[in-house]
Amino acid sequence: MNQETAFWILSVVAVLGALVAVRQRNLVHGVFALLLFFAALAGLFLLLMAEFIAAAQVLVYIGAVGILLLFAIMLTERVTGEGKRIFSRGWLGGALASFAVLGALLLPPLRATVLPAHAQPVDPSVRALGEQLMNPYVVTLEVLALLLTAALIGAVATAQGTAKRKGAAK
Amino acid sequence: MSWELIRDILIATVPLLVIFPSLFAFTTWVERKALARIQNRIGPNKTGVPCTRISLFGLGQPAADGIKMLFKEDIVPRGADRLFHLLAPIVALIPAMLVLCFLPLEFPWAKYIQVPVQAFLLDGAVIFFFAITGINTLAVFMAGWASRNKYSLLGGMRAIAQMVSYEIPLVLSAVIVVMLVGSLNAADIASAQEGYQWFVFTPWGLAAFVIFFIAALAETNRSPFDLPEAESELIAGYFTEYSGFKFALFFLGEYIAMFAISGLAVTLFLGAGEGPGVATVPALSAVWFLAKIFALISLMIWLRGTLPRLRVDQLMAFAWKFLLPLSILNILLAGLAWHLRGQGTVAQAATWAASLLILYFTARVLDGLSRPQARPRQYKYAE
Amino acid sequence: MTLDHCLILSAVLFAIGLLGAFTRRNAVVVLFSIEIMLNAANLNLIAYWRFSENPAQLSGPLFTLFTIAVAAAEVAVGLALVIAVYRHFKTVDLEKLDTLSEE
Repeated sequence: MNQETAFWILSVVAVLGALVAVRQRNLVHGVFALLLFFAALAGLFLLLMAEFIAAAQVLVYIGAVGILLLFAIMLTERVTGEGKRIFSRGWLGGALASFAVLGALLLPPLRATVLPAHAQPVDPSVRALGEQLMNPYVVTLEVLALLLTAALIGAVATAQGTAKRKGAAK
Repeated sequence: MSWELIRDILIATVPLLVIFPSLFAFTTWVERKALARIQNRIGPNKTGVPCTRISLFGLGQPAADGIKMLFKEDIVPRGADRLFHLLAPIVALIPAMLVLCFLPLEFPWAKYIQVPVQAFLLDGAVIFFFAITGINTLAVFMAGWASRNKYSLLGGMRAIAQMVSYEIPLVLSAVIVVMLVGSLNAADIASAQEGYQWFVFTPWGLAAFVIFFIAALAETNRSPFDLPEAESELIAGYFTEYSGFKFALFFLGEYIAMFAISGLAVTLFLGAGEGPGVATVPALSAVWFLAKIFALISLMIWLRGTLPRLRVDQLMAFAWKFLLPLSILNILLAGLAWHLRGQGTVAQAATWAASLLILYFTARVLDGLSRPQARPRQYKYAE
Repeated sequence: MTLDHCLILSAVLFAIGLLGAFTRRNAVVVLFSIEIMLNAANLNLIAYWRFSENPAQLSGPLFTLFTIAVAAAEVAVGLALVIAVYRHFKTVDLEKLDTLSEE
């Protein structure tokens, strides 16, 4: 099991997971396919020697965002929705647009620009990441903390609604 | 894939797969006997050597239970999602066994490994531990969803809400240790506690250990936070519809998760593998590690027999309104103690006083939660 | 496993996410697809970092860490909005949520 086979297996799993997630009628199956996609991506990050990012991907996406999506599905709609169309009326235009974007993104490899061929040796260490976060990028880190706090408070406030509105609805 | 690599992987992993399930079997027996004695009854004492009347205090009970579960009929409810019904116990068990590899357990046969099996010497072991423990919540959801049973689904959602809420104080308490050691590597944390300088003997370490232990009880759905699997509440909550081998896998997964989190608590706070006699006989470090894990498990069993169960709103309020601010205060306390570490007895006494205050308030709130509080109900989402 | 392979993979994943965002009717599925697109972009960042000349500078993992955090915040707020919309309109079908458009 060398790197090549691992890369191919993980990419096939990632592409299949993403495809199933966007085309599945049953939303819970779709979310689990999405979680498989996140796991395959975490595996790819490990292959690319970004250990901490792989752990952060599993922790944040599979552990938190996945659960959040599952709760949102439980709270919003009938999950299976038999008999309804799942694709919107303009689906053909959307599909054409996304194929066009795929073509545009693939142009650099198709035009064979000179890309770096082999990888430099990397020493994966969390300590270096921490030092970078604290010394040059500390302002970004603090702004991110503020952003996350604001998002937390906003999400709770938006999802709960206000008591006055609920009193008026009664 | 050379033969040496396969052989070394087997040497590194098969002992874990053998030791921890047998420890699990022993723990179920200990739990049933201990709970029984706390509740003034005897517990299983009839099964011993098969086909004879020799009952070794009921030590054959785990084997008998295992054989029974293997032969039970596997019932899948009609209309249930068969794929998820099958996958849920597997997804519950695999992360629990996987995180056992990250603990700094050094078995005496490790010196026979020639090819370095790098996966276990991860630089970021602690964060991988929390990442993989978070996958347990998915297994709970799959089990609740796949059972096609409203009560299982409700039990599953409550269990997920509980597990997700208590992950935060768990991680914040571990972050204190990581912050003061300066590394996420389990081996570094273990060696920073050498010479009996265990983190549990420091003021912030004691408070962090208590918060970590309470959050670990809630993560593994143990009493007093075992509302998801309470028999008088939702029959068995999210694993009502499971029988036979799948139930046995869930049960195994739950206990192995308990071992894994106790193992992390031992690594972070109790000086992994350190004890008298380790310098002379290095193999004793594994024995001491397992002994400390077992001590924490006994503490969990004791708490199960003693404390009443918390209601779901008390549980969530306790996590968000109490443990989370307390763990943040504890981080501040740890930083303060680190800066004051050389400076005289008044500073040391102040940090101990602060940490004891934290512990006192924890005890008071937990005590006050068992008193009934009747308030008018508020439904926030259902209208 | 060269840089080409990683870039093609991330382009394909991005296009799949875009397909989901443009063609599905359910708002939650559109949020899934946005997450797929963000992850494809993260893969791209890490791939470029890995094959760059100075990987000790850790630009890839840092940027990816910030992206992961911002994406988590965005999905939290997005789902809160979806829940609030559901409470008001009793549906999350994007074709029925057209009160802003003129008939």
